[in-house]
Amino acid sequence: MSDMALRSKNLPGIGTKYEFKTDKGDTVAIFFTTTGVIQMYTLQKGCKTPSAAEMTPGEARRLGNILTGAIIEADQESVEIAFSALADLRVTIHTFYIPEAIIGKTIEDLQIRAKTGATVVAVSRHDHNIINPAPSFVFEVGDAVLVIGESDQINKFESEIMVE
Amino acid sequence: MEGFIIALFVCMVLALISKYLSIPAIPFYILAGIVLGKAGLGVVQSDEISQFFSEIGLLFLLFFMGLELRLDRMLADPSKLLISGLIGLVVDMGIGFTAAYLLGFPLIEAFIIGVAFYITSTAIVLTSLIENRKLMMKEAELIIWLEVFEDIVLIVIIALLSSADKDLLYFFLKIVLALGVMYLIAHHGREFLVSILDRDDETPILFTFAAVLTTAALAILFGIPDTLMVIALGAALATTDPDAFEQHARPFKDVFLVMFFVFFGVTIDFASGVDLYAIAILCILAVFSKLISGMLIGLTIYGSALSGLEIWANTISRGEFSIAIAVLYGSAVVGTVIAALVIVTTLVGSFMARYSTSMRRGIVSHNRRKALVRRPHNSGR
Repeated sequence: MSDMALRSKNLPGIGTKYEFKTDKGDTVAIFFTTTGVIQMYTLQKGCKTPSAAEMTPGEARRLGNILTGAIIEADQESVEIAFSALADLRVTIHTFYIPEAIIGKTIEDLQIRAKTGATVVAVSRHDHNIINPAPSFVFEVGDAVLVIGESDQINKFESEIMVE
Repeated sequence: MEGFIIALFVCMVLALISKYLSIPAIPFYILAGIVLGKAGLGVVQSDEISQFFSEIGLLFLLFFMGLELRLDRMLADPSKLLISGLIGLVVDMGIGFTAAYLLGFPLIEAFIIGVAFYITSTAIVLTSLIENRKLMMKEAELIIWLEVFEDIVLIVIIALLSSADKDLLYFFLKIVLALGVMYLIAHHGREFLVSILDRDDETPILFTFAAVLTTAALAILFGIPDTLMVIALGAALATTDPDAFEQHARPFKDVFLVMFFVFFGVTIDFASGVDLYAIAILCILAVFSKLISGMLIGLTIYGSALSGLEIWANTISRGEFSIAIAVLYGSAVVGTVIAALVIVTTLVGSFMARYSTSMRRGIVSHNRRKALVRRPHNSGR
């Protein structure tokens, strides 16, 4: 890891450039531009013209998640965070798109906490987010939920709540 | 006032169109000004209000330039930049000045045209590098730093032009004194400035606006160029929290600079005795002078004509700074020349910047084919 030299540079009026060469001799460059977009260039060893992808900050974070190996399924994302200071506490945060079976039900009806131990911390509905939904919160078509818990609890949530 | 609102509305529509076509908006704003103003329909007149807004636009353009001048993060290899910067300066300004002088412009006007020839549009060049996804090519970094080099040259030129017919020693003493005061304020008032910028009410934006206008007003009061002082203010404040200042100054710059471009177009008057023939020659030369300087830079720095071609394709566009020089120091005739220069070079420039990659590829494969035809036995078959 240490021999892969990551160079960062400030370019006036453009933004910050990060560049590194892989062991196989390919080059990856990423530019965080002042206009807010993020551009990623990859240059294969021996090639002259790089190919580029332009991303919004959200897309770039998504790519970052994929690259760190945290993603489980293409449309559902999961991150596990380890807090070494708290006796190596590991918490998993996972997103799910709710299935048809639980549309119209509340968090209380489903007894999510009692059955699985996981907690619904946020619901994304039509481009806005509801943080800490109340027990009386009713799920609607198209909701995506963000669930937090230990990885066993998340697995339980997936097998018991998401199939109901 | 009605004219002003018409201009504002037209600009909004033009901004949308130019973003949709991803062509720089500056030539459209100037053309809109020409069509609406003196030379065209005559619906929009330049009055006190529009002049005030244009002036603010110019001040904020220069303030932004100052904010970007962060000399602490200079290029790792400054000698490369210095060489290429000087090539550009000598070739472009030389060609512009000589051509204008030979076409019969007086010495000082020819010099202004030379400056307009030399200084490229930082906004257009940088945006086109991003939009055409050229940030990774090896010439990109040099091009970006050349823009900074040009800014520094521009500051020197403004200082020279505004020092004309003044007591030089006294004049530069006043400037040095003003710079000193500014840096002292930025240095010792740093914590206070940052605490203002951190607030989330209207104070940061109000402070930014007031700082720029107050500096300009004080500069005029003390008889030193407000343009220089606003750049210096930007550079001084860049030592505190440049990103915050950029964020708060951006709305002013965006709106007022558009007004600056439009009303520059409005004041253009073809009846002011300009030779269309001379304008055409200067516009063509403006495109070619960058080809010559780009080639020289490409050959000296990278030893490659293709690199030179790439540098040329990305640095053709002249824009905001050429116009600023025209507005500040040019006559009506020079203004017309520079307006045409900006319109032609930005349109040619945006086309070349977009297609330079395929142009390069075309040249390379053409050469390869030629080489194969010439030496068919060496091709390995």
